[in-house]
Amino acid sequence: MKNNQTRRAFLQTNAKLGLAGIAAPFVTTLASIGEAAAQESSGYKAIVCIFLAGGNDQDNTVTPYDMDSYKSYQSLRPQLAYSRDDLTATLLTPNTNTLFKPHTSLNGRQYALAPAMAPLLPLFQKEKLAVILNVGTLVRPTTIAQFKERGFPLPPQLGSHNDQSSYWLASNPEGAVSGWGGRIGDLLQSGNGKPAVTCISATGNAAFLTGKSVFSFSVGAKGPIPLAPDSSLFGSTYGGNGLPALKALMSGSRANIFENEHAKVSKRALETGELLFSELKNAPAFMTKYPGDVKVPGVETIPNPLADQLKTVARMISINSALGAKRQVFYVQMGGFDLHSHLVETQPILLERVASAMRAFYDHTVELGVADKVTTFTSSDFGRPTLCNNDGSDHGWGGIHFVMGGAVKGGQFYGEAPVIALKGPNDVGQGSLLPTTSVDQYASTLATWLGVSNSDMSTVLPNIGNYDRSTWNLGFV
Amino acid sequence: MRDEVQPLTENQHVTDVNVTERSPAVRQSITSIAAVITPALALAACGGGKDKDKDKDKEEEGSPSAGPLPPSVPPTGVQAGRFLAQSTMGATKAEISAVQGSGYESWISAQFAMPREMRLYDWILSKGFGEEKDVTGDNGSGLNPGVWRMVITGNDQLRQRVGVALLDFLVVSANGLTQTNFPHLAAAAYLDLLWDNAFGNYRELIGKISTNTTMAVYLTFLNSKKTDPKTGSQPDQNYARELMQLFTLGVVKLNPDGTAQMENGKPIETYTAADVSGLARVFTGFRYDPSYVRLKPDVHRLPLAQNAADHELGVKTFLGATIPANTDGFASLKIALDTIFAHPNVPPFVSKQLIQRLVTSNPSPAYVGRVSAVFANNGSGVRGDLKAVIRAILLDTEARSDAGLTNPNFGKLRAPVVRLTNWARAFGVKSEGDKWLIGDTSNPSTGLGQMIGRAPSVFNFFRPGYKPPNTSIASAGLVAPEFQITTESSVISYVNFMLGIIGEGANDAKPNYTDLLTKAGDSQALVDQLNFVLAAGQLSAETVATIKAGVDTILPTHFKSSYHRVRLAILLVMAAPEYITQK
Repeated sequence: MKNNQTRRAFLQTNAKLGLAGIAAPFVTTLASIGEAAAQESSGYKAIVCIFLAGGNDQDNTVTPYDMDSYKSYQSLRPQLAYSRDDLTATLLTPNTNTLFKPHTSLNGRQYALAPAMAPLLPLFQKEKLAVILNVGTLVRPTTIAQFKERGFPLPPQLGSHNDQSSYWLASNPEGAVSGWGGRIGDLLQSGNGKPAVTCISATGNAAFLTGKSVFSFSVGAKGPIPLAPDSSLFGSTYGGNGLPALKALMSGSRANIFENEHAKVSKRALETGELLFSELKNAPAFMTKYPGDVKVPGVETIPNPLADQLKTVARMISINSALGAKRQVFYVQMGGFDLHSHLVETQPILLERVASAMRAFYDHTVELGVADKVTTFTSSDFGRPTLCNNDGSDHGWGGIHFVMGGAVKGGQFYGEAPVIALKGPNDVGQGSLLPTTSVDQYASTLATWLGVSNSDMSTVLPNIGNYDRSTWNLGFV
Repeated sequence: MRDEVQPLTENQHVTDVNVTERSPAVRQSITSIAAVITPALALAACGGGKDKDKDKDKEEEGSPSAGPLPPSVPPTGVQAGRFLAQSTMGATKAEISAVQGSGYESWISAQFAMPREMRLYDWILSKGFGEEKDVTGDNGSGLNPGVWRMVITGNDQLRQRVGVALLDFLVVSANGLTQTNFPHLAAAAYLDLLWDNAFGNYRELIGKISTNTTMAVYLTFLNSKKTDPKTGSQPDQNYARELMQLFTLGVVKLNPDGTAQMENGKPIETYTAADVSGLARVFTGFRYDPSYVRLKPDVHRLPLAQNAADHELGVKTFLGATIPANTDGFASLKIALDTIFAHPNVPPFVSKQLIQRLVTSNPSPAYVGRVSAVFANNGSGVRGDLKAVIRAILLDTEARSDAGLTNPNFGKLRAPVVRLTNWARAFGVKSEGDKWLIGDTSNPSTGLGQMIGRAPSVFNFFRPGYKPPNTSIASAGLVAPEFQITTESSVISYVNFMLGIIGEGANDAKPNYTDLLTKAGDSQALVDQLNFVLAAGQLSAETVATIKAGVDTILPTHFKSSYHRVRLAILLVMAAPEYITQK
């Protein structure tokens, strides 16, 4: 971002909106679900995956605050560390709700949200946001000693963006042919009136969302787009009608494998895209304001791609009954987190976008009466080491993530608080964290909430059997 | 992330080309070169390619007799068009005739001999975008127009296509340069570097990239500092990692034919975290040339300088090589790049990606092996001769044989930007005011989902190993890189975008359909011509009939009907998967 004045004004505007925007979630029965659907064991549920592309630096997202940990953090990255005073206002004080306990023993450890993430603080306080500590890719539970053993199974190509992001979301390195979101969809799509809308991406192709049978359906960040809008096809005003030929050419089956698969994509686009486009015309109007919705005179509106995508997801959710959808998995993404340099200037801008977009999305689900039906979670290529490289941080492993929603047992930390120390019990080099909670456990918790049974879990997560069954559900939702 | 250093393997620190001739990789390459001297059998094999038996096709591709076609066979028009689809940003009728006249080899030689035309950087400067007002400029500062102008109008079309191919894996994106001055000119200087060296030597190319300001900004090694004993701050690892992972070696060890080396059923990783942190120590102390002033862009055309105080002088260890203590920045860089360049992964890693960009997504291991052998040794003992590599790619039987046209697994999706330039070149798009306002086409909902020089990250718009999930491509174990940006949204957006630009052009960049308008009344002749120039005759009779029927819905009675019939015909051709797939 080049214009600091613009940015400040934007942050202020957003902060004001944030204050006005918080509303108590109201519980409602989903009258919109029809008789047939009501006979199913439960109503609508969706999970939304937010991918922070590039590997988000967890230490400057959820920052150690208790004096000992803060000092370690500060001493390992003096160039990057927040001042402790700047963190006081966003201290994450765990709730005392005995129903939610015990999930993790912090042993006196404290964390604060990055100041730029202040829009999420009220959600933590209202127990709608949980923090998952030191979660990352693993093959099986792994100790530091095992990590150092030659031949102990580890995720391949640690530190490689494309491979680790693929391992996070698809349980395999680059070239993965299905992801756990899609494999959940395989199991649950039969409850959907139109299985084609089970897995929807608002950000392009996602192996995460593709199953063995279910497809990821991609819509634009601002929703599906119609073919040749406004009857603009050549010659149509002179009686010409090229549209049938156009659609037939685009979607007809072919012998060559690339031609044929391209045609299949087009066929889905024409069939499902047009359905979504027409149903969205009848989507309920809403009051929730997303970042960028309110134009301030004289202030340039800064694009927030995550907000655009989450708004599109919320609009899709708002037509779930018209689509006959009972279980859905959504995927959105924002990039820019690979901050080997300029971390101090850049990461807060990105985190502010994430927090304000997530906050607006939550508020929107409250407005739609589905806050407890929608669980949103973050993911990223990997975390980053605490030790810095002068003005940024390099590639690490375990990270810290958020789970948000009305059904979330929030205001709490889950997992184990990693020790911030070189050569400490979690350190695999330069302060990179050996994960103590695996992506598989994180994912199986979400899958369980959506309705995947334990007996099907290894279909969704091939390595879940490597973990003690009592840890398949971390209990955060 | 593990601390152990990988054991040294043969060749890993060999830096002298003459020494590498003793390596097994090169011994294999000599065998392959010998094989290509007798290509008569290969020709027979392509004649037999009508047989659709898959296994048989595979055998033919993998047979040791495959290799370049003899130069004496004059190409037909559609063969020349197909060759140009692989070697240029788009065929034209004139260029097809030229290839038919000269043959493939002479055409390639003539392209190699063409002087570099006006560089992107100079064109942007000539449009007045190098002034103080442009110091933070990017969009609207001449980069997009300059790129479109260059790739569409350049006579050095082979260089344009290879330049775009190199940029697909030696990625810099203008979107990631906002931290420097004149980001549009920084990007232009980098593209010029790739284009300038597209016919050079790969070792020199990575040397220039590694001392390029734009790359240093993009992959953040600019001003990276040695370990600071006080704060513990470490050298930035970004470039060290991606130089190995993306530009030279890849993450797993390769055989000379590009297949992965396996151990206990698993690929062997090429390097460790310790190699990354070791190599990162080399990329310290690099800074802008001392002549840098923020309000002038000139620094982006100057190689990086060294700030000795920031360079790590301790021992640097990576890939089995050791750079002794007290070796300065440039000397360390030379040893590092020589070490990497001598790694046996480089020839197959680079060769396969270039084949994928130009010819086919899934080249046979034998094809990769043949090209990779030429990369390892051009026949005169030179490693990394890109001219020889390009020749080997384009003249290989697998690229030229008609068998590819009927092999259902052959070919690749044309990248969306190449489809746009195909159209622009076929119909002589000119910008009267030299404005070229085609813009940034990377929006996947309103544009092409791709723009030259604006990748979302160093991993480009698509990865060479991308397998579209839940497709017959993936279940056949094949890859399809361009499918990574092919979505339910992008396929519609592409057609809508082409609908707009085929009809109206972009601002003053207008197509010339004069030739087609003379055929507008005869829809068969019209579609046949489009099939010839855009699709190298690869549209089936069935597809041509569908297009013709669509065109014929516009009755030729209205005075504007010719205009609409031509445009609809172009759109329908370009929306057909048979066009979208380059075979």
